[in-house]
Amino acid sequence: MGAITYLGESELRAMLAALVARTRVLAPVKRGRLSHAFAWVSDEREIELAYIRTVLPPKRAMLPWPETLLEFTRAPQSRVTAVVDETPYALVGIHPCDLFAVSELDWVYLQRHDNLDAHYRARREAATIIGVECRPDEYCFCTSLGLAGNRQGADLFLTPVAGGYVAEVLTGKGEALLQDAPTRSPTEAELAAFGDWPTEKERLTTLRLLGEVSEYPDLMEARYYGNAWTETAKRCYSCGTCTNTCPTCICFDIADEVDFSLQAGRRLRRWDSCQHLEFALVAGPHNFRPKRPDRVRHRWFRKFVWLNREYGFPFCVGCGRCTQQCTANISWVEVLNSVYREAKEARAG
Amino acid sequence: MSIYEPELARITRAHSPTTFDRCFEIALPGGRTLGHRPGQFVEVSSLGLGEAPISICSAPDRSGRFELCIRDMGGLTSHLQRLGEGDELGVRGPYGNGFPVEATIGKDCLIVAGGIGLAPLRSLIQTLLADRDRFGRLIVMYGAREPSELLFTADLAAWAADPRNEILVTVDRTAEGWTGHVGVVTTLFHEVALGPPQTLLAAVVGPPVMYRFVLAELAAHYVPDDHIFISLERRMKCGVGKCGHCQIDNRVVCVDGPVFTGTEVKGFHETL
Repeated sequence: MGAITYLGESELRAMLAALVARTRVLAPVKRGRLSHAFAWVSDEREIELAYIRTVLPPKRAMLPWPETLLEFTRAPQSRVTAVVDETPYALVGIHPCDLFAVSELDWVYLQRHDNLDAHYRARREAATIIGVECRPDEYCFCTSLGLAGNRQGADLFLTPVAGGYVAEVLTGKGEALLQDAPTRSPTEAELAAFGDWPTEKERLTTLRLLGEVSEYPDLMEARYYGNAWTETAKRCYSCGTCTNTCPTCICFDIADEVDFSLQAGRRLRRWDSCQHLEFALVAGPHNFRPKRPDRVRHRWFRKFVWLNREYGFPFCVGCGRCTQQCTANISWVEVLNSVYREAKEARAG
Repeated sequence: MSIYEPELARITRAHSPTTFDRCFEIALPGGRTLGHRPGQFVEVSSLGLGEAPISICSAPDRSGRFELCIRDMGGLTSHLQRLGEGDELGVRGPYGNGFPVEATIGKDCLIVAGGIGLAPLRSLIQTLLADRDRFGRLIVMYGAREPSELLFTADLAAWAADPRNEILVTVDRTAEGWTGHVGVVTTLFHEVALGPPQTLLAAVVGPPVMYRFVLAELAAHYVPDDHIFISLERRMKCGVGKCGHCQIDNRVVCVDGPVFTGTEVKGFHETL
């Protein structure tokens, strides 16, 4: 482990073909002209490692939508069975931002509040994760979060260099992937190209968060009643696209589904969104966040203040999905920056 | 074992104290004791209809039984009104922190309940009364919308039979035959002398709208905020701190609560 080797393009493709042959593989595939999606592939040739971003994050591998938590029968007698899926699979072509998101999900579902989610654990342990280096577009800002060089969450990480890849073996699972692959030590030139990627990413990234990430929790709390939330809410449709496309969004709903026989069914988990009106609705009816500015602020605060303080890192990895997909063209970073400016001005004034 | 998997429990007794509440005595499989604290809740489900968080309304004991009082608020809770002895319920829990029972030793206890809020407080009152000499006064202020909606009337009468307990009941709207107090629950603060605030602990459970007014009354009586314990209602879908629905600021109600001190509640956004 920790080894750095070189793998030629055709050797990598042979490894991926072998992987597809022996296990399920979720990987980026082309959808339409410019778009990519994580899909279960049946042929290694579908996999496109040079992509910018998918619409939906790879978390669907660990948290399918919908996900059957329990199966039950009501007759002849009631029985409940937990559904725990341990079928092995590989997640291929995961960028540093999405890798870090996986490690944040790990904390939430395996550790947070000392409660372990066995459904998540089974799918997580069944996963072998191959990361891949990337180039940013105008929505990317992982550099502002310090995640450009992240490897956490990966078993094997691939960085493209001339004619192949520099492969970093990060875990035992990663080591197993390369067991039969004809690897060799990278040359000086290959190592130099490998080392250039982070600097290139810094250079090519145009979107920047103002100030330091560590300043945000205090600054945002100072602007809890600031203008940014009402201004953003004027444009927001509360559609939930931002949360659905977020690799670190963790909220879910639990609901039952019954067969036509009415004697059997499933208890399902589905991703939910704090942007939806009914998210904080209780009996009464009483809604604790009935207004859109409240829900807008809740999202920014949860990711950049509360979970940030609790976990020690924002629940945002700079992937840019929420902004690229937003129906109303609301920029996550622009809102943060406007709060930053508001806070600085308020402090100066 | 999944944290979302309910145990299939059996209803051993059921009755409807009002036209839209149903009380159940429930036995877990194998006579197992639930092992709860007053103020905790369980996720109750009916297979095919989903789950809802419900406060436990009986004191912890070793009988292997516990009680719930469930109001018809639509969906699952409507269906539950039709269940009776021998029927099955899915149960997960107990969840949440509960009331700090030990803190009441040597103190006077004020209980303020609005509507179905009496359910979790009944668990607390029963727990306190099981060791009556450990604390001083017990003052219960309970308000319902109208006389026909009063819950646990037999318990209220039994608690009132002990001269050490001061049980005050009010209704928002009177009805024929009602000779008791009329007015919202906070009007009961004028009916009793609370005594020294430093030795008083208050537990408050009711509809969200009630808290601001009760806290104002308690402040007017100089009850320190950290002597006040309030149970907050939120949409606790999972009960184990994962689903995100019950988050208030940096806290999740299902794990960090549902009981919070007055100090905490006054610091929360979107609460009062």
